[in-house]
Amino acid sequence: MDAKLVNPFIDALVAVMPQMGFDVPKRTKMSVKSQTCASLGVSIIVGFTKGLRGNVVYNLSEDAAKFIASKMMMGMPVEALDEMAQSALSEMSNMLTANAATNLAAMGYTVDISTPSLTVGQDFQIKISNENYLVVDMDLGGQIMELNIAVQA
Amino acid sequence: MERIKVLVVDDSRVSCAMLSNMMAKTNFEVCGMASNCADAVLKYESLRPMAVTMDMNLPDADGIECSRRIREIDPDARIVMISAMKDASLMERGREVGITSFLQKPVSPYELIDALSCIVSDDIKRNTSIRDLYIQSFSKVLRQSLFSLVGVHSEMSMERAEGSYLDIPSGIAVIVGLTGSPMGRAIVYMDTETMFAMAKAILMKEDDDKMTAEEAGDVIEEAANIIVGRCASVINDLKDVDMRISPPGTIVGKNIRIANFKISSYYIEAKTRFGKVCMNVGFAEGE
Repeated sequence: MDAKLVNPFIDALVAVMPQMGFDVPKRTKMSVKSQTCASLGVSIIVGFTKGLRGNVVYNLSEDAAKFIASKMMMGMPVEALDEMAQSALSEMSNMLTANAATNLAAMGYTVDISTPSLTVGQDFQIKISNENYLVVDMDLGGQIMELNIAVQA
Repeated sequence: MERIKVLVVDDSRVSCAMLSNMMAKTNFEVCGMASNCADAVLKYESLRPMAVTMDMNLPDADGIECSRRIREIDPDARIVMISAMKDASLMERGREVGITSFLQKPVSPYELIDALSCIVSDDIKRNTSIRDLYIQSFSKVLRQSLFSLVGVHSEMSMERAEGSYLDIPSGIAVIVGLTGSPMGRAIVYMDTETMFAMAKAILMKEDDDKMTAEEAGDVIEEAANIIVGRCASVINDLKDVDMRISPPGTIVGKNIRIANFKISSYYIEAKTRFGKVCMNVGFAEGE
């Protein structure tokens, strides 16, 4: 998979998150994984089709998920990852992926995105590709959001 | 879901055949055909269809007169007018006799089903019946695909999902994104035992043959991909839309919980001798 395809997703995060009150996210790590992404606790998968086909998984630990949900809800304390918090995270991934789609369009790839599927569990794996795919860790005010981006050749 | 009876009034046999073909893949069903006004009135009285498609040109009266006579018998008769010309004066005359839906020839399957769905679902929101059609198509395709993949008969059931979550105690869930309009996602899931039994059957292996969870998962993932792909093709045929599917995301593990937020979703279950193969189909709300 072409490494330049991760930029639209990173740019989306950099553009969207500050609008919701976050510091500008910083890229801390980039790596390659094969086929399967181990969930950190909360994983939101969004599919895309048309000019490019693939999936992006926003992978978060429960703490990171609570931190983001709280910030999105104007600092409301989030003790448990309840329905409202999960709904906020789904909405965030929808916004991020839609923004990434706009960035991809600027590169000449028209993509349509699916609705996000938020999955929680103690110990599960998500296979998003038959090949290698790219992983980017983004630092959001001390918490890590792991972006798993798989694009079909 | 019960099939909705439709009376087709048209003096052309070709048009009648085309309309009934368009309805064949849906939950509408042609219960009778009439080639003139007198016959249409008689058949309406005896068959009491839920809806009528009315051609404008009939040998003994025009479609508006015929609709007027039908609505004399049943003031609630629901009629879709189909004509070669769709102009303001025709629509005005049609409205005077109580016709609310007008289509112009040639009619696309999408327009027809949309118009019929609209007039038979006064109390339901416009999109609801279209979605029921989608769900019914998904159910049909799931049943057919299981038969062609492993030669198994399934007992089908479906219901609207009420809760906010889909819980899978242990097993596999293949998530396939649906893009286009409406956008959504389909999840094919089953417990671990069913996953192995189904995967072995698909690869024509014996029950006691060895298979790793990873191999079984790959087989189920591919099967789910095929099933959802076929579903999308059927919807694209049925309605003139461009529904596409994203590559599958496959979740394997225990106590998996997938949220059903801001989507209206349905459960479709196929009970087979291998176990239950389930599907949750959701479309974004407000589309």
